[in-house]
Amino acid sequence: MIVAPTAPSLQSRLLLTLAVLLLVAAAAAAWALDSLYRNIGLRALEDVLDAQVIALISTAEIEFTGRLVPQNLAEPRLATPGSGLYAEIVGSQGTWRSPSAVGSGLNLAAEPLPGERSIEHARLADGTRVLGLSLGVRWDPAEGESRDFVIRAAQSLEPWYQQVLRVRTGLVTGFILLSLLLLGGLAIALRVALKPLRRLESEIVDIEAGRRDALGTGWPRELSGVTGNLNALLVGERKRLERYRTTLGNLAHSLKTPLAALRGLVERGEADPQVLAPQLDRMQSIVQHQLKRAVFGGSGATLIDLPAYESLDQLRSALAKVYADKTIKITLAVTPGTVYPIDAGDFLELAGNLMDNACKYCRTAIAVRATPWTAAEWRRHGLVLEVEDDGSGIPLAERAHVLERGVRADESVAGQGIGLSVAREIAAAYSGTLEIGESRLGGARICVKLPGR
Amino acid sequence: MRLLVLEDEPALRDTLAQQFRSAGFAIDAAADGVEGEFAGLEYPIDVAVVDLGLPGRSGLDAIRAWRKAGKSFPVLILTARDSWQEKVAGLDAGADDYVTKPFRFEEVLARVQALLRRSGGWSQPLLKCGAVELDTRAQEVRVGGNAVELTAFEYRLLEYLMLRAGQVVSKAELTEKLYEQDFERDSNTIEVFIGRLRRKLDPDNRHPPIETLRGRGYRISRD
Repeated sequence: MIVAPTAPSLQSRLLLTLAVLLLVAAAAAAWALDSLYRNIGLRALEDVLDAQVIALISTAEIEFTGRLVPQNLAEPRLATPGSGLYAEIVGSQGTWRSPSAVGSGLNLAAEPLPGERSIEHARLADGTRVLGLSLGVRWDPAEGESRDFVIRAAQSLEPWYQQVLRVRTGLVTGFILLSLLLLGGLAIALRVALKPLRRLESEIVDIEAGRRDALGTGWPRELSGVTGNLNALLVGERKRLERYRTTLGNLAHSLKTPLAALRGLVERGEADPQVLAPQLDRMQSIVQHQLKRAVFGGSGATLIDLPAYESLDQLRSALAKVYADKTIKITLAVTPGTVYPIDAGDFLELAGNLMDNACKYCRTAIAVRATPWTAAEWRRHGLVLEVEDDGSGIPLAERAHVLERGVRADESVAGQGIGLSVAREIAAAYSGTLEIGESRLGGARICVKLPGR
Repeated sequence: MRLLVLEDEPALRDTLAQQFRSAGFAIDAAADGVEGEFAGLEYPIDVAVVDLGLPGRSGLDAIRAWRKAGKSFPVLILTARDSWQEKVAGLDAGADDYVTKPFRFEEVLARVQALLRRSGGWSQPLLKCGAVELDTRAQEVRVGGNAVELTAFEYRLLEYLMLRAGQVVSKAELTEKLYEQDFERDSNTIEVFIGRLRRKLDPDNRHPPIETLRGRGYRISRD
């Protein structure tokens, strides 16, 4: 087997493409999940801060200094320094800070107007990231004028960031594992799916090595067309080879007799052309017979549809010339669109032999009919070719003999009549049949049936 | 009758030329398609025998070229491959009949004679002009049922005139068709032969079969 530089295998192409696709899809999914998780987390944190601010407002009262101060801290974390939850109330008369915020360096910048709310990210003095919420309020004491304050609550984001990191790690590992699992599964699926192809390859190698003579059966639907055609091709080639072998054998055998006769004559010193010529004639007719039997192609698997009409019409005008003296009426009746997958030379040879015979033996007329032959199980139609003449016909007793004529040229001396047996052999090469019958015109009717496939 | 042999195999070409010559034909021989095409286009050929399997320019091409140029002389093809595909291709290109190799010369000759006869409008091998009967197969001439002895040249002359019965054939045409190209010709010879033919066919001068049309040529009437 010739080893050509190979392109990447189907399997590696598929796997590589799918791996890239999976990677992109997994990354996109991880990113989407991550941002969704972060958004939801931040919203929840905001809600916590909101609740803290509301709690502060609910207990706050203005002190004599003019500061707004919560009267008791419901949330113990606000009282614990470094707890991660901080609050302050900023007013024009001074600022109140929760014990937890004292010394933390909490530094929120937003100054929302009364009734407005603002969210911001900030850092404490020690670098801790916090989320801060500022709410502007207008305080209306029972007496005196109203005052504006900003109530702030902030929460450390560090624990939450750590959680986000854990989720991210989980997502990435999860998606990588999932991708690997999918790719692995895919590789197995491909192996299973491509198994018939590997089987095909190994069977072809076996055929090349002579270990088997045809492809086996039980191929998946997608391959059965290819394997069927390959088998047909193999069978066709084998038949052809056999035919060549037989022809060569027959040729060599049948030439031996006249050669021996010639040798004998020459050794006897015979030089008279009258004596030598018959042997030469015999050899000549043997060569002609055997060649005529060997020429046709007859495979089938790879053939394209040949329109019947064109070939038959060519033969009609050719024969009209050859039999010009006889003025024969040649009637052609071809169903429109009649085609058959046959080698053009084979079809001309088949129809030519039949039509030539008909012209030879007719009185004034021959009729040629070609019709498609259909069957449910055939994807390509078969063909029925009928050739009739108004001659004297072929007697029943001679029909078998006529078809056998010329099988071994040395068995039949006559130089004519090989046409029918050649036509039958061509038909047989296409798994077809040839029958001799009687024509309505009075002479012989030859019917060739070539099955579809 | 002037016949072109277009065959590349020298032995076969020479044999054919020699056999046709002894059958009374004037021969032009060509060994390849180009030479053959030229001969068919330029020489006054009556019939051509063409081998299809020529090297280079094929016999088919030559036939097509002749037909395209309006040359209507009959063409007999010789095919080595006895397949209908080849025969159909040849007949389709403009040939009129075929013979499969290897062949007997008698068969080729019979086909050529039949083609010539047909191109002259005769459907039977027996040509009849009044009392004169000419059998192209046996090369025999009878007048009123009695055999007439003719020399080869006289026979060729009579056959040519009878194949073209009803037409005027000039002396120039007769010299061209009955002599080969490199042959010493003399139109007086034709007159001499016509005179001899007349004496042999109609010794009593009762039904002169060959008319002389002064300045134009000779004619044999079909009845």
